[in-house]
Amino acid sequence: MSDEKQPLIAQARALAIEAKRVLGPEFTTEVDTILGRIDEPLRVAIAGKVKAGKSTLLNALVGEKLAPTDTGECTKVVTWYRDGHTYEVLVEPTDGSQPVQVPFRRDGGAVDIDLGSRRADDIRRINVSWPSSSLRKMTLIDTPGVDSVNSEIGERTVRFLDSSQESTQADAVLYLMKHMHTSDLHLLEAFHDDEVSSPNPVNAIAILSRADEIGVGRLDSMASARRIAARYEDDPKLRRLVQIVLPVAGLLAETARTLTQQEFNQLSALAAVPPRDLEVHLLSADRFIEARAETPLTSLERAHLLDRLGLFGIRLSLPLLRRNVVTNSSELSDELVERSGLVALQQILATLFVDRADVLKARSGLLAIERICLRDRTRPGVDQLLVEIERIMAGAHPFKELSSLAALRGGTVKGKTKDLLRLERDLGATGATPWQRLGLTENATLDDVRTATYSEIATLQRLAESPFSSHDLAAACRVAIRSMEALLVAEPA
Amino acid sequence: MTRSADSLPVSGINAPAVEGSGTMTNQAPNNAVDTRTNADVISALRYGREACETYGRDDIAKRITELLASVEEPDVRVVVVGEFKQGKSSLINALVREEICHVDDDIATAVATAIRFGETFKASAVIQPIDDSSAEPQTIMIDRREIRAYTTELAQSRPDIVVKGVEVELNRPLLREGLMIVDTPGVGGLGSAHSTAALGALSLADAVLFVTDASQELTRTELDFLNQARDLCPNIVCLLTKTDFYPAWRKVEELNRGHLQRANVDVRMIPISSALRDFAVKRNDKELNRESGFPTLLNILKNEIVDAAGTADRLRASKELAAIGEQLAAQFKSEKQALEDPEAAAAVIKDLTESKEKLDEMQGRAARWSTTLGDGFADLSSNVEFDFRARMKTVVLEVDTALEETDPLDTWSELMPWLVNRVSGEVVANYRFLTEQSASLSADVGSHFDFAGEKAFESLKIDNPLRVLGEITLAEDLEMKNVSTAGKGMTLLRSSYSGVLMCTMIGSFAAIPVTTPFIIGAGLVFGRKGIKDEEERLVAQRRAQARQAARRYCDDVTFNVNKDSRDTLRRVQRQLRDHYSERTKELQRSTMEARKAAAEAEKKTVIERTTRIREIDKELTRIATIGARAAALVGGNR
Repeated sequence: MSDEKQPLIAQARALAIEAKRVLGPEFTTEVDTILGRIDEPLRVAIAGKVKAGKSTLLNALVGEKLAPTDTGECTKVVTWYRDGHTYEVLVEPTDGSQPVQVPFRRDGGAVDIDLGSRRADDIRRINVSWPSSSLRKMTLIDTPGVDSVNSEIGERTVRFLDSSQESTQADAVLYLMKHMHTSDLHLLEAFHDDEVSSPNPVNAIAILSRADEIGVGRLDSMASARRIAARYEDDPKLRRLVQIVLPVAGLLAETARTLTQQEFNQLSALAAVPPRDLEVHLLSADRFIEARAETPLTSLERAHLLDRLGLFGIRLSLPLLRRNVVTNSSELSDELVERSGLVALQQILATLFVDRADVLKARSGLLAIERICLRDRTRPGVDQLLVEIERIMAGAHPFKELSSLAALRGGTVKGKTKDLLRLERDLGATGATPWQRLGLTENATLDDVRTATYSEIATLQRLAESPFSSHDLAAACRVAIRSMEALLVAEPA
Repeated sequence: MTRSADSLPVSGINAPAVEGSGTMTNQAPNNAVDTRTNADVISALRYGREACETYGRDDIAKRITELLASVEEPDVRVVVVGEFKQGKSSLINALVREEICHVDDDIATAVATAIRFGETFKASAVIQPIDDSSAEPQTIMIDRREIRAYTTELAQSRPDIVVKGVEVELNRPLLREGLMIVDTPGVGGLGSAHSTAALGALSLADAVLFVTDASQELTRTELDFLNQARDLCPNIVCLLTKTDFYPAWRKVEELNRGHLQRANVDVRMIPISSALRDFAVKRNDKELNRESGFPTLLNILKNEIVDAAGTADRLRASKELAAIGEQLAAQFKSEKQALEDPEAAAAVIKDLTESKEKLDEMQGRAARWSTTLGDGFADLSSNVEFDFRARMKTVVLEVDTALEETDPLDTWSELMPWLVNRVSGEVVANYRFLTEQSASLSADVGSHFDFAGEKAFESLKIDNPLRVLGEITLAEDLEMKNVSTAGKGMTLLRSSYSGVLMCTMIGSFAAIPVTTPFIIGAGLVFGRKGIKDEEERLVAQRRAQARQAARRYCDDVTFNVNKDSRDTLRRVQRQLRDHYSERTKELQRSTMEARKAAAEAEKKTVIERTTRIREIDKELTRIATIGARAAALVGGNR
């Protein structure tokens, strides 16, 4: 059937085609969905408690104000944003009937969908097609907040992400939180599944999404948030659930990516006011909005700026403009994107998700087929399919890497911290490129990589064979050695 | 030490009379309701006490002394609660205008900190050696700089001691009236205490400041907490913090009002900004201070919360004084009755003798009220215990059902917090059962004393101390809403309740074994199929383990809660017994002296009688001043 030499994604595709034949017409649509999914961009769900800033971060990642955001609870239905040729909004009803195209208008940039007489309860999901280069790499899924006062809404997200559901729909999850709340932990745990898809330390990232608020808008808020993120990352309870914890100032990121020339001009006008005169107006949001004769801009303009940037964004931008660190709107935009933590997030997404998209997609594809098979094992050929899935899952090295990583992060592998961290790195926890796995710099030469690889293999071998190494540790070492060997093979001649 | 009525030192009574009664009665109406201090209460009580001493009623004087102690050192506890990182500590610092509670972006408050009045700054910590939980907690003095180390999460990681609480004394006018502000660990942080701890603290509070920040509307968890909290302490104020930072705080405020209304939680909401208050204090800027919302909060603290407690004290003092005045007057009244109408004297003496006999019956262990009390508490104790056991049984059953359907490996992490939450709810419900039942039992005991109200001693009916404040309606013109609630009426019960409840719960929570997912790694070694059969066996094993852990947890909680409620009930019983038997003794003495006076009156000549009646009238006028002062305390003109 499938060849072990083939790339994993191809093996998964071949298996899906085989499954379609074996399972018969009854399951054709379901398997087709899985097949389609293997060829689609990676699906990344943005989850978290209510008001964690999910829609805001989605907009920041897309670079367009697509998802509507509001002070009150806003997102009530699971909404998919995917790349498409045209602008189109489809509503899928819960009763399984055909998706319906609905009208929408753009309200200050955000897509304001006219659901007509439909109630949120009757909608399984909303599908937004939007031509966008950001969405070409990954489909983003906005979910309603959990822990909503309206418990119905939260349940929709739990249903969507629940690992025990029939087909898990997201390949990776960004979990957003304001602080690490125990309920966040419980939610992550609820979605967490040790073997299969859904959040798992290999495909989940936690984000302190309103990072600027941790220090209540002080200028050093981001630094403070980074320290906190680092502490969370070391927390054993969290380590086994997510790969990394990152601070992002969501609102700032969103605005920075959509900053207009007019907004830049307004900020420049404010920056021209001597700091001493402005200080008293920056004490509180109310004071900032209140019109004062000595400051430029109208109240409305100031309210708009505040709405877009928050006090933190304004406090941050003004010195940048005053000291001429930035001189035009695109420079300001870049600087703010950088400072909001979005750049770091994008890099992490690229190394952890996009580079590994095929593996993650193959994994969710195979698991989805396995679930269908398990529903009725009496059907002829199903057992054969299951064995095949088992073979691919057990044999494919990328999967071994993922499960070794999960085991390492889950704390089940015992050993010295130094060794464990080395293994995580070798297995690609910080990125899958050779230099990342070897802990080198980006501009390492081929020779550097080769030398480092050999020495790494030697170290790993010693560790694997050491009588002091636990069985699990030795097993993880062997997987890592194989990863290192693959580096040598993959190396261009 | 009975003193015959005619030998009463007339000059003796003059001392308190001079001290102010005459002027006081005249002043009272002008000086009525709105007195911020309780100086008048104290002086009225002292006046009453001196009167008692003059008439040789040191037994009643002793009771007033006890009452004085609680009035002189009032204790109004305001507990600040909320989810973690909502700005509770900043709020308190801004309130007392000093950095007492540690504020940090990351490290959260982990130990309750009480701030109360003291002439000079003083900080102390209550600690217990970590390895010996049975040891008596010790109080040690700590330095101002050490507060942080004792109150934050850092304190929890100390290897040697457990910090149970920190107390700070601070010289602030705000605190002078007995206000004690308690900072509690936020609910919900990693490693921070469970909401039960906060709920436990609430049952001891006079008022609650619930803190939520303006970053978002109230969450389900917060609303649930408010709902539970309301039952334990009805006086809740919701504070919307950080309004300086969130431009949309008005919208959030409006949304919250909607949520509260829909959830039927009737609490006020006040938007405030601790940051603005800090600036205002630093720059001495009145306008900023107004914008910070603190004046409103301070106003509520001073004029409503502290005053409500003051009013409660005032009402209690007034009622007690009035009753004491009448009790003192009673003996003169019956003597006068006997003197004025010798025909009636026999009847008066007969009535008094009957009362005396009844009161004699009331003395001693065999008395009926004493039996009601003893039996009642024995029953109540076992009822409360049974109630909790029954509750726990249901919980255990629910756990079993839940476990039957799932693999604990997947569900334990959800089940565990659910279990703790469920159990904490039951603890609170059980505690309420206890309070309600003891109040009604106390009323039953009190009904044995009803006879006293029928005849000679009107208004001498003995109060049910557990309901005292709930029933007072002395002054209709006073806003009584805040006082007449159940939570307020249980002063006695509250002083009995040790608060062990909350410590117990946290301790037991920590004791829940956390099952680690020990099986993930195995998939690596054996292929996934190979472990399927083994899996079945392991699931069964894990279920048994989880069931056992849940049972053990419930058992632990049951044991501790039952011990706690038994102790509480025993203390309440003892207090009630003392209360009723002392009141009986007092009444007995009053009756005896009245009868003696009446009997002597019978023997007197006409001239002696006239003189004596005049003397008695004088005494009665003096005693009436006690009643007048009592009335003056609650609004005068009655």
